[in-house]
Amino acid sequence: MSHDNPLQHPEVQVASGRGYLLTFLISTLLMGVSLLLVANHAMAPFGLMLVLSLCAGLAVIVQIYFLMHMDLSEAHIWNTVALVLTIPLFILAIGLTAWMFSTLYERTMVMLPTMHGMAGMVH
Amino acid sequence: MLVDLQGPWSPLLGRLALSQIPYENPILAPLFVVVAIMGIAIIAALSYYGKWGYLWREWLTTVDHKKIGIMYIIIGLVMLFRGFMDGLMIRTQQAMAVGPDAAGYMGALHGYLTPYHFGQIYSAHGVIMILLAATPLLVGIMNVIVPIQVGARDMAYPYLNAVGLWITAAAAVLVMASLFVGDFSHNGWFGIAPIFELPYSPGVGVDYWMWVMQLAALGSTLGSINILATIVKMRAPGMTWLRLPIFTWASLATNIIALTSFPALTVALALIGFDRYLGTHFFTAGLGGNLMLYTDLFWLWGHPEVYFVILPAFGMLSEIIPTFSEKPLFGYVTMVLATFGIAGVSWAVWLHHFFTMGAGPDVISFFSVATMLVGIPTGVKVFNWAFTMYRGRLRFETPMLWSIGSLFLLLVGGLTGMMLAFPAINYMVHNSVFVIAHFHSMLLMIVYAIFGAVTYWWPKIFGFKLNEAWGKAVFWLFTAGTVGVFVPMYTLGFMGMTRRLDYVFNTQWQLLLDVQMLGIAFYSLSVLAFLGLLYVSIRDRAKSRVSHDAWGTTHSVEWMTPSPVPFYNFAVVPHINARDEWSWRKEHGFTDLRPDHYEDIHMPKNTGIPLILGVLTFLLGFGLTWRIWWLCALSLALIIAVVIIRSFDADTGYIIPADEVERMERAHHDRAQAAVELPQAGVPGGVTAYGQGNKPAAKGEVGAPGSGISSPEGSRA
Ligand code: HEM
Ligand SMILES: [Cu+2]
Repeated sequence: MSHDNPLQHPEVQVASGRGYLLTFLISTLLMGVSLLLVANHAMAPFGLMLVLSLCAGLAVIVQIYFLMHMDLSEAHIWNTVALVLTIPLFILAIGLTAWMFSTLYERTMVMLPTMHGMAGMVH
Repeated sequence: MLVDLQGPWSPLLGRLALSQIPYENPILAPLFVVVAIMGIAIIAALSYYGKWGYLWREWLTTVDHKKIGIMYIIIGLVMLFRGFMDGLMIRTQQAMAVGPDAAGYMGALHGYLTPYHFGQIYSAHGVIMILLAATPLLVGIMNVIVPIQVGARDMAYPYLNAVGLWITAAAAVLVMASLFVGDFSHNGWFGIAPIFELPYSPGVGVDYWMWVMQLAALGSTLGSINILATIVKMRAPGMTWLRLPIFTWASLATNIIALTSFPALTVALALIGFDRYLGTHFFTAGLGGNLMLYTDLFWLWGHPEVYFVILPAFGMLSEIIPTFSEKPLFGYVTMVLATFGIAGVSWAVWLHHFFTMGAGPDVISFFSVATMLVGIPTGVKVFNWAFTMYRGRLRFETPMLWSIGSLFLLLVGGLTGMMLAFPAINYMVHNSVFVIAHFHSMLLMIVYAIFGAVTYWWPKIFGFKLNEAWGKAVFWLFTAGTVGVFVPMYTLGFMGMTRRLDYVFNTQWQLLLDVQMLGIAFYSLSVLAFLGLLYVSIRDRAKSRVSHDAWGTTHSVEWMTPSPVPFYNFAVVPHINARDEWSWRKEHGFTDLRPDHYEDIHMPKNTGIPLILGVLTFLLGFGLTWRIWWLCALSLALIIAVVIIRSFDADTGYIIPADEVERMERAHHDRAQAAVELPQAGVPGGVTAYGQGNKPAAKGEVGAPGSGISSPEGSRA
């Protein structure tokens, strides 16, 4: 059986120490910023939520790009398929959760996050 | 430390102290003695027969997907037994502790288990049965069968496969350790916020639960990546998507679910970890925490998980039923679509586990409808199986019995699930034993399918069949147990009995609880019968040897290989010509052909590293549970070091030369010839009856799979 060198596979070829290090640094940075913002109550809760979502989104993009080296080439078709699959799941998981909890808050809590802040925070 | 720990802590031992060992417990202390004696006996036997080397070479360091699968199945069976003992204790306690006059023993007010102990038992029962019994059994069977069904020699990542196994084993050992060191969680298998928070559960029980779940999740995720990659990348030439065996399709869908849903569990558990170890407030009642968010995250995984366990079972039924109906599967394409339909819907129904949370009516209606939609693809499957059996030549051998039992349970479980999906009904029976009976019907359906699959594929893996009479005895005893326990349980659910009662206040429930004990007695007998089955079958194995096609009417690729399957699976990678390849070959008389020449085979080398990683993972989990920080740091550092060291090892495979392959193939061939005293009915197309067409039947026994083709020494007829 002819045996090709696994290091020549396109999936392996995209590996890059610089990319990994960069991902690690940027992700750590984004996480640190988020942590600081939350720990110091740096903004009103709604603004905080937006900024955190933005950080999370950035982190995802950084990881897709630098860590997984996603592109649309034929060699990475399965990565693309996997990414496309996660989009509806993402929408379902986050969207339905947001929906169920917004109706829950309407019915059980006086204050909505958009009004004054997550219940306990204003104590 | 960032959190207030109750009780002592020392840098050397963390929270561990002698007082944490329950040597005074009247149940655990004798149990420990028994376990210790058994352990010593096993070690002594291994040494006496000089089997350590064999164990190390052939099992502990193996990367062969079949052996790894078998070890998964052994872990699953052992944990199934442990979980059964928990179930037996739960049932006994409830039958004993009915009404204020019920006697109390061993420190309990009623019955023989204190509420605290009882809580640990039902929590351990659930965790073990779902994550450490059902899941490893299914993963094990997928591990054994999928690579052979796609015509591959091993998994895509044999080394990763072994790592997944040993991490799962570490989780199993950790949950067993909780028996004898410290205690286990009492907040149910799914965890209840905020009871699992440190102030309300100050002991190590919740930590054990959390890390056991976390390790099991890690093992399953690694395994799912591997099976997905195997199916996508390792299919034999000619195996197009629409020729994929149906069990492989089911495995594909299952592992997509696993890969996408397990992260939700990992996150939920990690956030509990932050709360308990770092003092954050994700799931606390106040201070910005949101306890329902835990329930949401958990079931975001939890519901897909129930389909993760049921889809492989569906796949097994889809393999077994055609074989014993002597017909091809009815509606292959719809079966595949239904599998993916179920997988797809499974992501959008999780709120039905907490309908009573108080979300708005639109939300509840949405999830109710989504839940009921699952019935459509499930119905498609059931009708496909029914049409497969319709006008087939049914043979009621043990695997078929298990499959039919499984179908009945699926019906009961599915219909009660539909009832639970009505919010109006759900508000009445939520948290009653009706729910327990529902999901036990479902999970037992899976257990039936597993037993069917084990009996069905046993001869493929070991080269001889399990004893029919004993197998049927196990089936009927087990079924008597199922009926005896769960029919009364449904009834009690309607009578309003809530789940997890350590004390049963209503004396009118006594009778039904006693009937359940009868069911438990039957289950216990079935455990004994199962041991008898193994003993008798292994003792008489010489009489029940089989060749390739153990059941005579099988149809998929794995039956083209010799039984037992050689470690390299296929001497020459087969070319796949049809959906039911083996049926196709039988039909075209291609069963007795052997390749005209052999080529060198490249195989992965054994390695002890996965086992070392498993041991270190256990130490890490144990250290985290007991907050022994030096142990955590050390084992984590070692894990990272070992992984790095291994990654520099370029020499991970070896070559079996072609003439060696040929020699081994000949040996298999001779053994197969010696085995065929049994009447074999490998018949064209897999559609013809048993016993017809003697000539092709005789041909079916010899030869080896292969694409390059030449004639064997001659027909045996
Ligand atoms: C036709 C398909 C099914 C429907 C409509 C259905 C519906 C439901 C509903 C509505 C509940 C929530 C009951 C409550 O807590 O009030 C439930 C609970 C449950 N179901 Fe199903 N189910 C289905 C299939 C399954 C399958 C296939 C499994 C497992 C293999 C399963 C396992 C469970 C479990 C484990 C629970 C409860 C867990 C717990 O509370 O501890 N179900 N089911
Ligand atoms: Cu569910």
